Amino acid sequence: MEVIISTAELLTTDGIPLKQSLKKAERRNKIRAFFLVFPLLLFIVVTFVIPIGDMLMRSVDDSQINTVFPNTFEEYKKWDKGEDDLPPEEVYKNLFLELANGDKRQIGKALTRMNYAKSGWKSLIKKTSREIKKIVKKGEEPVSYKDTMIEINKFWADPTYWYSFNQMVNERSSIYYWNALDRTYNEEGDVILQDENRRMYIKTWIRTLKVSVYVTFFCLILGFPVAHLLANLPLRYSNLLMIFVLLPFWTSLLVRTTAWIVMLQQNGVINGVLVWLGILSDDGRIQMVYNETGTLIAMTQILLPFMILPLYSVMRVIPKSHMRAAQNLGAKPAMAFWRVYLPQTIPGMSAGGLLVFVLAIGYFITPELVGGKDGQLIGHWIAYHLKTTLNWGLCAALGSILLFVMLIFYWLYNKIVGIDNIKLG
Amino acid sequence: MSKFIKAFLFASIIFAPFAASAVTVASWGGAYTESQKKAYADTYTDPGAIVFENYNGGLGEVRAQVESGSVTWDVVDVLPSDAITGCDEGLFEDISAEIATSAAPGPDGESMLEDMENNGLEYHSGWDCCVPQIFWTYVVFYDPDAFPGEKPSSMADFFDTEKFPGKRGIHTWATGIIEKAMVADGVKPTAVPTVLANQTGAIDRAFEVMDRIKDDVVFWSAGSKPLELVKSGEVVMAVAYNGRVGAANLAEGENFEYIWEGQVLDQEYLCLMSGAPNRDQALDFMFHASTPEAQAEQAKYITYGPMRASGIPIIQNNEPWGPGGVDIMPHMPNTPERLAVSIVSDPQWWSDYGAEINERYSAWMGN
Repeated sequence: MEVIISTAELLTTDGIPLKQSLKKAERRNKIRAFFLVFPLLLFIVVTFVIPIGDMLMRSVDDSQINTVFPNTFEEYKKWDKGEDDLPPEEVYKNLFLELANGDKRQIGKALTRMNYAKSGWKSLIKKTSREIKKIVKKGEEPVSYKDTMIEINKFWADPTYWYSFNQMVNERSSIYYWNALDRTYNEEGDVILQDENRRMYIKTWIRTLKVSVYVTFFCLILGFPVAHLLANLPLRYSNLLMIFVLLPFWTSLLVRTTAWIVMLQQNGVINGVLVWLGILSDDGRIQMVYNETGTLIAMTQILLPFMILPLYSVMRVIPKSHMRAAQNLGAKPAMAFWRVYLPQTIPGMSAGGLLVFVLAIGYFITPELVGGKDGQLIGHWIAYHLKTTLNWGLCAALGSILLFVMLIFYWLYNKIVGIDNIKLG
Repeated sequence: MSKFIKAFLFASIIFAPFAASAVTVASWGGAYTESQKKAYADTYTDPGAIVFENYNGGLGEVRAQVESGSVTWDVVDVLPSDAITGCDEGLFEDISAEIATSAAPGPDGESMLEDMENNGLEYHSGWDCCVPQIFWTYVVFYDPDAFPGEKPSSMADFFDTEKFPGKRGIHTWATGIIEKAMVADGVKPTAVPTVLANQTGAIDRAFEVMDRIKDDVVFWSAGSKPLELVKSGEVVMAVAYNGRVGAANLAEGENFEYIWEGQVLDQEYLCLMSGAPNRDQALDFMFHASTPEAQAEQAKYITYGPMRASGIPIIQNNEPWGPGGVDIMPHMPNTPERLAVSIVSDPQWWSDYGAEINERYSAWMGN
């Protein structure tokens, strides 16, 4: 029998070409799928993309002050610092007028900004403004604005105040990033190191990275055997053991941090026991808290479950027969572990390691409480500038650097281990 | 669903906006806010109209609320440097005209601002937007049992670990400690702000003094810590908020001694948010909370001193003022004789130089 193959288009029962009909159905599915994920998309945009975008914008934004003193800055740019010690009369005149006619609140905001560039701006401008208002009220126009302002306050003859304008004359500026790295601008607008006794951001960055790496490492060392035990014990025992892991995990962060203080302080439990055992003399008690050691110990314990749980869920599904097979084939237990078991736990180690590292690098409350003299991490300074100095530009720069560091680590991780090789369960 | 429930839900949606019209006061929480509730809200004509909310200080949340246009607080309890910045930036409303007309005068007819000046304070721009609360101080205290022989009595003793061996507890930021170091270096306490503002190298001098105890310092950042440190014997002396020490002495039966010399008085204000949802009632409450009587009342519950000078005689003349018949005056930081050996911290100077000094302080701490 001969089979007739139609060369005409395939039609559905409705007479519409099949291709078209399929396409239509597919499009409908696509739209439906989009609407299904739309809430999630919206959520991500609102809670993630917009805030991070805002942070990145703020870290380079310096436009507010430029709207308050536009003419002064315009004239300032013309000042040849090699030629004259002080800015020309026009600069003084425009600043005078802009202070006299400006909106009080806008000037107030600008003042906060100026004070980051040089401490003392705030009082100087406020005192000067009061005098300027008096002069304007009297209705007299100064012969020389420069002399008048210097007469009001001798600091107007101090070029270092004027030099600090360099940091503010552009609407977009990288000064906050430089500040976050212990650097600032000199009178020529070149990047120089901050005063020696003020340099502490770089130190804090290094400490933050160091502590995060150590914490991740210690968590891995401590968490691996526990996770292995959990995964290999009979269910009865492993459930009980799991509770020991989860109970502290569910306990308040503050309670755990305070408990560590009680344990570690010089008159605390550990020192007490060591002295009682005669290992330490009463005068030789070790300082284990209110410093970097305290931060390390407390953070390791607090972040440990984030390492154990992903490790455990990966280890649980590794068949026991693999190790047996390897040993059957002649590998010694250590070799079997190294070549057969360990590689299979890499997804768990990666997930745990990345989780712990990300959490550690931005950690705030625990270092704040047990950090004392040299255990504060970068989060301390972000909080300080957010709340106390209101220097949100610097805050945003610190936050952005943290983000970049994270992305670099992510990239490195992807190169070395591969991001597909991550598994939470 | 029954009709009743439906009606109830409907009604609650309709009336919810009206129910939320209480004046919201953001304050620091803990024993301090408790004392404010008792002294200010409970004595107010309509105690139910005042709601306290806790916050962590600083202007971060204030600025976020004002900038985003969704102001939910009416009144904020702030430090003087924040009062100044907030008022300059327009985060707080300028109420200087209302203060001039409506703030309760002192007993001799002096205006509220004059009453504050009688307490050693100077005008700053925070006074345009805020009303005074209390003086709190960074004071050094110790457990007398830790010193069987001679007891420390001055700032020089605090910074001298040879004469008085043992660790010292100080805080992780610079305010207060810089001033104390200047006193230990021989500057007359009341002159410290002037010296700091005008003498070049004054800060270096303070850091040199602080270097003397650096190896013997335990740093704290939470207000409850210095008391734990002294109680557990971790340190022999510590800087603390005097209200915490007072509470330990009065309520917990401790016997801590204060070193009043070189105490650093800091101020506390109630400021009106720009765009406060219940502006008029909030203002009324602020004026109630800044009367000398209300301020003296607060001292019953926490040992911070009235910022209006006329609040002190009220306590003095009515001892025992504290609950349970205890005398409060021994714990008040701003009696005239204690003011003579104290520093009134200069908020304007700190808001100028605070960031720079704190960075330096942190570098000093970590070295």
